[in-house]
Formats: sequence, structure tokens, C-alpha cells
Amino acid sequence: MLSLTTLCSPNETAASSSYQPPVFRLRSYNQTLPPTLCSASDSVANQPKMSSPDEQDPRISKISSAIRVIPNFPKPGIMFQDITTLLLDTKAFRDTIDLFVERYRGKDISVVAGIEARGFIFGPPIALAIGAKFVPMRKPNKLPGEVISEEYSLEYGTDKIEMHVGAVQAGERSLIIDDLIATGGTLCAAIRLLERVGVHVVECACVIELPELKGRERLGDKPLFVLVSST
Amino acid sequence: MFAAENGLKGDPRLQAISNAIRVVPHFPKQGIMFQDITTLLLDHKAFKHTVDIFVERYKDMDISVVAGVEARGFMFGPSIALAIGAKFVPLRKPKKLPGEVIAEAYELEYGRDCLEMHVGAVEAGERAIVIDDLVATGGTLSAAIRLLERFGAQVVECGCVIGLREVKGQLRLNGKPLYILVEPREIDGC
Repeated sequence: MLSLTTLCSPNETAASSSYQPPVFRLRSYNQTLPPTLCSASDSVANQPKMSSPDEQDPRISKISSAIRVIPNFPKPGIMFQDITTLLLDTKAFRDTIDLFVERYRGKDISVVAGIEARGFIFGPPIALAIGAKFVPMRKPNKLPGEVISEEYSLEYGTDKIEMHVGAVQAGERSLIIDDLIATGGTLCAAIRLLERVGVHVVECACVIELPELKGRERLGDKPLFVLVSST
Repeated sequence: MFAAENGLKGDPRLQAISNAIRVVPHFPKQGIMFQDITTLLLDHKAFKHTVDIFVERYKDMDISVVAGVEARGFMFGPSIALAIGAKFVPLRKPKKLPGEVIAEAYELEYGRDCLEMHVGAVEAGERAIVIDDLVATGGTLSAAIRLLERFGAQVVECGCVIGLREVKGQLRLNGKPLYILVEPREIDGC
């Protein structure tokens, strides 16, 4: 089965200008040994073993530094993760798609579902590269013809996500793509929508995760793969 | 100009693309025969042909910017951008893009709408194309062209999968060439 990988960079302090580099939390997924007491005679050979930064794919740090943080958008207190600057960096955008394609190619996935609207930017190139169909999951009243819909909770009120009837068949294996997972509400609704018609959702894949919002827990037993984890 | 009249006459890919598009009558309102490209996205071969034809056309034209109009332009633009080594610039409805934007208003059948682009997304002198799924009156594409030109980018062409009859015979939009793959499907019980 596909294994989870989250890849992080060391903390950076926020700049005072309007451009803010992303802020990350270093998370080691190899156990570190307890540090030995330091003394003047300690040699390099006696240093405690730390998790190796080589485990992070070298393309990740360029991807994460290409993402721009916009403070107080869409409202005060929210640090918005803006992927449009990633799309302007041709190599980093290429690498982003490649990382997903390398993970999902040859895994018998026939459906890539993308969530409106930023999921429409990442989903189709992945679908084309792995030989899958692309299925847009949209806000209400955008898709013509017969749709099925799934409601989900917002902080205040509810919203709905829709998919075309007949876009997918029971038994197909699917990914769901979005630029970012926050609380996981939209992704959960997308999972329910696909599962209602008998599709097996293999994994949810996002460029960015906001771990403090606990979206990963909300997905439950549904695997989540992200490239960048941001606090 | 239509692809079939401009170098791709008889190309079987164009027929495959046309066949994959679904017509939904009376959407979003009575009288409109809506050209639905989502069925094209479900047909992997035909979707690939669509992207390939645009890539073949633009890859040697020194294009550094592919601008895509929200939301269906997002489904085609990024794949083209990635293949030709260009940046992808989303052109969005108001208040979706964070940070500093410029806006351009355009006419609808009833009322007006607005398209926005990030400040700093393009630089003066860059060569750009604009991609959307369909061109009808050309109002949205014209606004897109104006946005790019305001920062000194040169719009080389607009590329659309489908072109409605209003644009047939109209070779240019705002003075810019228009490149279209297929005409609209009729509803014929297919």
C-alpha cells in the first residue's frame, strides 16, 4: 500500500515585508537518540544520530520556497498559502507534478478527481501523465446535466460539492487532488461523493497541509499524501 | 482560425475531440446548447490530443506565459504550460486571488463581470497565450488580453477548444489571432 510521506523544512522567521517565506516545523520521522552530554573532547563520531535531511526529496525545498504566504487573507488572522507563485516557477511546478506522478503511475488508478478551482490546476496534468480520466468536483450549479451532490460544514453554515452522474464507475480506483488540506471538510465531502457511487478512493493528495487544523485526522483511515507541511 | 483550416485538415484527432464533447440543452438557461467539455476530460486519449495539438503549435513560439481563464481554462492551460516550459498564470473572478491584483471589467449579456490577475505575474516583453475551453462573444478573452497588455506582455494568440459561430470568420480578437480546435456540436441524439 502507498505509504505516507510528509516532508518539511526548518523554521524560517517571517520577514516584515509583504512577502513572507513559508514557515515550517521540522518533524523527524526517524527516532533521534537522546543527546549525549557534550564535552570538549567529543568528536564527530560521538555526536547523536539525527534524522537525515537526505530523506527529503531534494525537489521539495524549492517547491516549498516557491509558495507565497499572504497574511490576513481572506480575513484577518489567516496566513493564506498562495500556490500561484509556484505556478510561475516552471521547474518547481514541473517537480510538483512529477512527485505526484512518480507516486501514482502504475498503481491502476483510473480516476483523478480535482476540487474546484485550484485542484483543476494540479489534477489534469497528473491525470494525463498516469493515463487516468480527470473528474472536476465543483461548487453548486456549475456542472451542466445530471449531478450528485454532497453537503459539508463550514465554520458558519454549509456548502456543497457536485460531481457528474456517470463520470465514474463502481470499482474504479481514484485519487482526489487539491492544492491544500486545512480542516479536511471539502476532501471528506469529495470522498463521500465518490464512495457513494462505489469508487475506491486510494489516496488524497495535496501540495500543502496545515497540520494544526487536523485535516489528516478528519480523513480517518483515508491516506493523505502531501509535499509540504506548513504551520 | 479553425485548426482544420490551418494545417490540421483531416487530422483524426480533431474528430475524436469533437466526438468527446457533450451538448447539454437549455443550460444554464433555455435556448442555450451548452458545450460540455467534462466528457472530453473523461476520454484520456482525446484529452491528450487536445493538449498535444496546442503544445505542438506553441512549443517553438518562444512563449513564456500561458494564462488560463477560471475555471475551465485551468483544466487545459497548466498542461500546455508544463509541456512548453512556460509559467501558468490564472485569471480569476474577483476576490479569489490573494495579494495585489489588477482588474479588467467586461460586458456580459446582462450586466458586467470582472477578471483579475496578480501584479508581478508577468513582465514587460514576455510572450503570452490565453487559453479557455470556449470562445463565444470574446468578451472574457478580450478582458484577458487587456490584463496581460497592461503589464507589457505581448499576447501572441488565444487558444480555445471550441469556437462558437459568432467568431467564425473573425480571425482576430482585439487584434490578436484566435486559434480554435472544433466547432460546437449539434444535439443529434448521440
